[in-house]
Amino acid sequence: MPQKIIIDTDPGIDDAMAILFALNSPELEIVGLTTIFGNVWTQTGTHNALRLLEFAGRSEIPVAHGADKPLFIPFDEPATFVHGQNGLGEVPLPMPTTQPDPRSAAQFIVDTVMADPGAITLVPIGPLTNIALALMIEPRLIENVAGVVVMGGAAAVNGNVNPAAEANIWHDPHAADRVFTAGWEVTMVGLDVTMKTCMDEAFLESLRGNRTGDLLHGMSHFYLDFHAQVYGERTCHTHDPSAIAYLIDPTLFRTRRGPLRVICEGIALGQTLWDQHGHYELPHAWKNHRPVNVCVDVDAERLLTLYRERIVTAA
Amino acid sequence: MSPRRFIIDTDTASDDAVALIMALHWPDVKVDAITVVAGNMPLAQASINARYTVEVCGKATPVYEGAARPLLREPAPAAWFHGADGMGDMHYPAPQQPPAGQDAIQQLIRHFGEAPGEISLVTLGPLTNIALALAMEPRLAGWVKACYVMGGNACYVGNVTPAAEYNIWCDPEAARLVFHSGIKLLMMGWEHSRGEAELLQDERAQIYALGTQRAQFAIDCNQHALKVGRELQGGLGLMLPDPVTMAIALDETVCTGRRMHYVDVACDNEVTRGMTVVDQLNVTGKPPNVEVCWAIDSARWKAILRQTLT
Repeated sequence: MPQKIIIDTDPGIDDAMAILFALNSPELEIVGLTTIFGNVWTQTGTHNALRLLEFAGRSEIPVAHGADKPLFIPFDEPATFVHGQNGLGEVPLPMPTTQPDPRSAAQFIVDTVMADPGAITLVPIGPLTNIALALMIEPRLIENVAGVVVMGGAAAVNGNVNPAAEANIWHDPHAADRVFTAGWEVTMVGLDVTMKTCMDEAFLESLRGNRTGDLLHGMSHFYLDFHAQVYGERTCHTHDPSAIAYLIDPTLFRTRRGPLRVICEGIALGQTLWDQHGHYELPHAWKNHRPVNVCVDVDAERLLTLYRERIVTAA
Repeated sequence: MSPRRFIIDTDTASDDAVALIMALHWPDVKVDAITVVAGNMPLAQASINARYTVEVCGKATPVYEGAARPLLREPAPAAWFHGADGMGDMHYPAPQQPPAGQDAIQQLIRHFGEAPGEISLVTLGPLTNIALALAMEPRLAGWVKACYVMGGNACYVGNVTPAAEYNIWCDPEAARLVFHSGIKLLMMGWEHSRGEAELLQDERAQIYALGTQRAQFAIDCNQHALKVGRELQGGLGLMLPDPVTMAIALDETVCTGRRMHYVDVACDNEVTRGMTVVDQLNVTGKPPNVEVCWAIDSARWKAILRQTLT
């Protein structure tokens, strides 16, 4: 039986990489895509989700449009300098001919999870606004999801927006803190591992040969340009696909558990601060929270091999 | 003329109950729905109190249950103020009717969406339900005809901390979200339930003497609040912030001074948590987002209360 997942996504080049990875993995069954702002405006995200599914011939999978802004702080603009104006590295995909589900993303998540208790894993790979809203309107989600696998955060490394914060968490820190402290089983696939797994030009070239691989290769130019400019190397980090890789094969990662909170004010807004040791005697804000399963290391080579295998054998 | 339509969001305890009675007995108002939120009481008790009050009024208004806790903060019920059951420990019987649903947030979106610009919203508790509905459906802000909020304190001392009034303090993030949502909002601070607005002993006796079940219920269930209000807040009489707000919603002439201001809610600091910061002098230059009630006609408010209890 494949693991049922809902991917909450702001697609996004690496989101597209993750979605196509999941669609071509028999271990996983996507029961819905829900959209969010971040890499793109939510509206663009919904279009991209629909057209990626259409591209893959999987338009039967519902897409639900999510929140247009964070819970309490403004959303200024999407990361077009990373993902391009259309979010897909300026690769022209036809506009979707299908429509999103009439429900909001949060309501879709609530309805879908509650209709299939214990079966569905939430896989947010963008800001966590929809997941927090879903939790707020239906607290019983906590006992009714199979788990939550978050792409976001930086437990023991610098952020990618600033030294403190990773982009997904930084966009809606209040939502993220709510998700990490809700009391459900959360795995965090953060920069600690995603920046260790690098796709260089040769690797991306090796994905070519079918339309899925060609699309991904096409989108990667813009992404590589951004990485080359910022990090000085023409190789891109494997953010969102790492969350999918964790679901397919958790043995790719080494994890360690500990309560994790998100800083919601001040210069470290959006920082994921992790109690790695549980040594502290005096009362503090991490105590009595369920530990988060944090990915601390990854077998990058094996992950990339898995990724390539799934893309080159794509239908 | 068709009646004006209201939806009331409430954390039903004793003064909420009086406000519900008022709306349910006002001649040209129809209450389409009551949505319940955790605040004064945990959600389940607030729901019981709302349904019992509807039954005291002989009505069948649907009561929907919503958020069981503030968006980010821990629940902080006020049994110390309203009594363990929220109704002055009067041990009223259980209501006959179950809640109409547990989907208050969806119901808010549905009701206002089906009749944009036609229904007014009166909020008597923390703004959690309203904030969630707005976050799920931002167009709701434009669908609500007018939103009357019991909450905050405009350039005035708080009642749960020196800075803050209870409803806003409970869920300051929700209040901030609602205040900045673009909804047409009149903020009625708790200060308007003090001073001349308080019900003194002879006024309470007069109401009791009206002899209706709901008049006696209104006074009885507030005995605990009366006692604590006197001891802790220096009230001479009974302070009824929710009913004063309802009086304004029923008859806007009760509000004799009102003005648009930029208003924000303090969320980032425990000292000022929930403080409604009114830019009275427009020193920030930010566009006004909230209409603030600055003065009320106490005689008129009391007349409305008596009328609805008679």
